[in-house]
Amino acid sequence: MTCLETLRRIVDRVLAVRESIPLVLLIASSLGFYLVSPAFLSPMNLSNMFAFIPELGIIALGMTMLLTAGVFDLSVGAVFAFAPLLTYTIVNQVGIPLELAMLVGFAAAMLIGLINGLLVTKVGISSFLVTLGMMLVVRGLGLYMSAGYPQKTLGGDPIIQTLLVGTVTIGPVTIYAGLLWFIGLAVFLHFLLRRARFGNWVLATGGNGKSARARGINTDAVTIRLFVFMSFLASFAGLISATRVGSAYPIAGDGYELETIAMAVVGGTSLFGGRGTIIGTVIGVILIRSIRNGIILIGVPGLAYNMFVGIIILVAMSVQALLERRNAS
Amino acid sequence: MSESTAPLVEMLGIVREYGKVQALGGVDLAVQPGEIVTLLGDNGAGKSTLIKILSGADRPTSGEIRIRGNAMRFRSTRDAIALGIETIYQDSALVEQLSIGRNLFLGREPSKSRGPVHWMDRTQMDQVTEELLKRVGISKKLSAHTPITALSGGERQAIAIARAMYFEADLIVLDEPTNNLGVEETHGVLRFIREAREAGRSCVFITHNMHHAFQVADRAVVLRLGKKVADIPRSEMTVERIERIIMGLEDGEAVASVG
Repeated sequence: MTCLETLRRIVDRVLAVRESIPLVLLIASSLGFYLVSPAFLSPMNLSNMFAFIPELGIIALGMTMLLTAGVFDLSVGAVFAFAPLLTYTIVNQVGIPLELAMLVGFAAAMLIGLINGLLVTKVGISSFLVTLGMMLVVRGLGLYMSAGYPQKTLGGDPIIQTLLVGTVTIGPVTIYAGLLWFIGLAVFLHFLLRRARFGNWVLATGGNGKSARARGINTDAVTIRLFVFMSFLASFAGLISATRVGSAYPIAGDGYELETIAMAVVGGTSLFGGRGTIIGTVIGVILIRSIRNGIILIGVPGLAYNMFVGIIILVAMSVQALLERRNAS
Repeated sequence: MSESTAPLVEMLGIVREYGKVQALGGVDLAVQPGEIVTLLGDNGAGKSTLIKILSGADRPTSGEIRIRGNAMRFRSTRDAIALGIETIYQDSALVEQLSIGRNLFLGREPSKSRGPVHWMDRTQMDQVTEELLKRVGISKKLSAHTPITALSGGERQAIAIARAMYFEADLIVLDEPTNNLGVEETHGVLRFIREAREAGRSCVFITHNMHHAFQVADRAVVLRLGKKVADIPRSEMTVERIERIIMGLEDGEAVASVG
């Protein structure tokens, strides 16, 4: 009896931490995949899986900050394609060095973020509509500019190549530069959100914007900065991706906006602002990527992938909602 | 109060129009240092509009605000806060998702770092928060990390008040501070207002409860349909008289000129 009570208390305490739900899901699904196909946890498969994590993961980190501030960005997938396309078009057709062209790509992305932020805060349109419109504009611009053709991204400066897509091999595990960027950004943003003044303002902006403004916080400036940062991250992730695959495709990153929102929300970040967790997002990113990897390994047709991701989202959300209702009563 | 001292805050001829609707039609309000003024009036009399202008949350269509004799223009609440005017709103204006400590310091988080990122000085935040919780007399054992959702209405009000105390505001503006509070919590709020006066601070507070107003106010200002209709010192305040003025049954201006 007491043993059962102790166990119950431990379970309660674990469930009180938002990140525990996705973590339990991750452990459960990994165990399931491993039992069916032991190759799932082999060093080769893990390093392969983690090679694909940063590109969506970096966007998901930015999305977590935006969601915490009570907004989101549907144009990230389009920016993910557009910025590297612009960068390599300049390199290939104008002959400008890659370093300079990268700055142009980043600047263009940040301008897109700035426009998003200004329309949301100063004109007062919901972020859903603003970024939906921006997604179409940017995607269309990329397609028009490229006439639908990709730009080759090979033969760039070797230092930049190494910084973006270099690898380190330790025994059987290969670590990609993108993963290091992702880890670095995750650590920085985690502390920014939890320990910095700006993080407190982000939480307050999404939690109760009116109160935050009454305390003298410029919530518009907070939101605009986050949109600019989000677009920068999307363009950076796009650059890594385009450089890795050897071509910048105008249709790259299609659907990334919803997938990254799903990663953040599954991890425990609220869609309605005021609650955000970078640790949860990192777990959410790994969870959703590992499902894509795992279902292929265990022999489920890859086309069924979305079905599994959908189920995971529904399960995670339901558990969270049920727990919140129980805590409220 | 001697004539030579400038009032702490002076609002002169404040007009606020929303399109064709006039919420305030030229209101004057002066608050002396160490004075408690209660702002009374029926719903829609313009009390909240006046408070919003005083706290920097809204701007007047015309009129002037002087702080210690100097004309000021508030562009935001930040300007008002910088000049020592703290406002505690009806809903206590706390961010529910944040902890007590994070709410207390919201917008003014202490930071020791000089780099591009201002990391919060969490040791200081926790220390000050624990001290303040003791000072405002929240008996329950609460820590700086307790989320606001775990607090009662009175405790939330106390947190908002603690914030004004800590940041040493010269003028504390309270919008219906005793609304929705229990008896004990109400006493706590009224006690705080008295303590603030003893510490030399001024208070302006809106209330619908005449008894609360009479317990602490030095002066009552009555608004009616966007105009000031009475400005009565403590010695001449009676519940019946003020109720008649609020309802428009008695001419407040005559009272004011006598007082």
